[in-house]
Amino acid sequence: MEKGSTFIKDFLIIGGGAAGCMAAIRAKEVNPDMDVAVIEKAEISRSGAAGRGMDALNNVVIPGVSTVDEYIEAVEIVADGVFEPTISRVIGERSFGILQRLEAWGLTFPREPDGSYMVNQFHPKGRFLVEMRGELKKIIAGEAIKSGANIFNRHTALDLIKENERIAGAIVMDVETGEVKTFLAPAVLLATGGAARIGLPRTGYLHGTFDCPWCNGEAYKLGYEAGAKLTGFEYTGVSSMTRDFNGPGQSTFIRHGAYLINGLGERFMKKYDPERMEHAPAGIRMKAMREEINSGRGPVAFSFSHLRPEVIKIIEEGIYAAERPTMKEYFECKNIELSTCPVELVACEVYLCGGHGLAGLVGDAWGETNVPGLFAAGDCLANPYGFLPGAMVMGEVAAERVAGLKAQQPTAHDGEARLARLLGLIERHHRGALEVPVRDFEYKFRRLVNDYVEPPKSEMKLQRFLKETEPMLRDQDDLPAKDPHGLMKVFEAKAGLFCARTAAEASLFRTESRFGLYHERVDYPHKDNQNWKTRVLISAGPDGPVIEKENP
Amino acid sequence: MNLNIDRDCCIQCGACAEYCPGHVIAMDEEGWPYERYPDDCWYCGVCQVECPENCITILFPYLIR
Repeated sequence: MEKGSTFIKDFLIIGGGAAGCMAAIRAKEVNPDMDVAVIEKAEISRSGAAGRGMDALNNVVIPGVSTVDEYIEAVEIVADGVFEPTISRVIGERSFGILQRLEAWGLTFPREPDGSYMVNQFHPKGRFLVEMRGELKKIIAGEAIKSGANIFNRHTALDLIKENERIAGAIVMDVETGEVKTFLAPAVLLATGGAARIGLPRTGYLHGTFDCPWCNGEAYKLGYEAGAKLTGFEYTGVSSMTRDFNGPGQSTFIRHGAYLINGLGERFMKKYDPERMEHAPAGIRMKAMREEINSGRGPVAFSFSHLRPEVIKIIEEGIYAAERPTMKEYFECKNIELSTCPVELVACEVYLCGGHGLAGLVGDAWGETNVPGLFAAGDCLANPYGFLPGAMVMGEVAAERVAGLKAQQPTAHDGEARLARLLGLIERHHRGALEVPVRDFEYKFRRLVNDYVEPPKSEMKLQRFLKETEPMLRDQDDLPAKDPHGLMKVFEAKAGLFCARTAAEASLFRTESRFGLYHERVDYPHKDNQNWKTRVLISAGPDGPVIEKENP
Repeated sequence: MNLNIDRDCCIQCGACAEYCPGHVIAMDEEGWPYERYPDDCWYCGVCQVECPENCITILFPYLIR
């Protein structure tokens, strides 16, 4: 531990994934004189949920193919009516601009014989999914580096600094050396992704999660503690994933016509959503899968044997080229050939994500939270089904807003007091009075998430989770950390516990069932549009979280 | 172990350690890469694609494979 330097910046970006990189690039475009810093926990060329790239942009409104209104309608369906359209409209309007920008930078968007973009349907309504090839993250990161922003690789933000009600900066640790640095800035963008390590994968491997395990809800916790509002934490994602590898592919499989089958070889979606079949919203698909498995008709799988070899080749190109390409080696190690073998699916562990689901910081049209100067973009912002284009759009608009505001540098901030408090806490972790390894601590609360927070939910189960994890709130500050990496993991585990408890609190509050399986309450089995077609907002109160309806 | 790093072809360039998003790989005192924090591996394959000599094989964590 070392108390290091203070850096004065105009714009501090925490998280160098797709959203953070795009914010840095746009900020320097709008105002080249602006002093921009990016804090990145990994190495920016390969960081974030899209570090290995992506095979498609899920949601681009291409003029002549679809409209912004159609896009908003599609998001409203998948969000089950609980959404605020402002951000979705911004994403819809600017998504094609993102595609054009990526194409100009060298990413490939395969074309149909007539020269038009290859567009498929993934959402229940409308065609917004555009095929993409190329090293997405390396290209965006390269542009961010070229922009002249200062990149701080292997640094993680541990606390935020305020000046009265405004944001004023952050305290950051170098995870190689342990040096603690203060960054002062009148505008801060949180862009550290969603929270992956909330539930425990069925393999028992802590980092074997569906979503990027190094994004563990740090922005949710930092924002909440600084006074920002959260929403959508009762939308506990449990997507279907390829068994054990826990990798994605379903959007690729569905858009190319794969069938969901049960152990009897039946296309079971006929029973649950005969009109939309595999295109039904994810929560409905998951509920159907669970029903089949619980009724002894498992395992459930995607089947490809009816597809033409050239379609299977496109699927393989997609899933083996980007996002989680080691799926190829995994299938080889398990002797899985798509043309002849169904790919078994299981429900992944509970995760929280604002770009795939609803859980995120609440922002306005620029992604600014209720804390002046504090913005969010990407998976930590509530931008339902904004996906990758949403992350990049909201990075851009946050940067434009910050560049336009010309805010003054903070002077009367609480940075010194926050730093002293943090250094004391770090010292306490070095002493580690709990003498329990952080992996046991993490395993314990994630096992409890599987038992009590994973849907189907009930008041009794959720209350039990809160009671069982209450002592862990006291224990967490005495977790041992012997080196900076260990300290980073302690802070990740604390953020995970915070997210899990917030998900339980929000799930208790919403006394209805909604979002298919994701918020199924056995004690309130029906959807109640009259009382609950509204977002649940969570903010920090003097005695714990304050939970309320957005529109009572 | 989740990875096999073949020392016969490794040129000790350090790219695997530099780019690993999970901070899993480090270089030892003799300049060889090793899995410093194997529990944190997501078998994402960044080390494999960044290796200029193609000497890393993903083995997958035992609980997964």
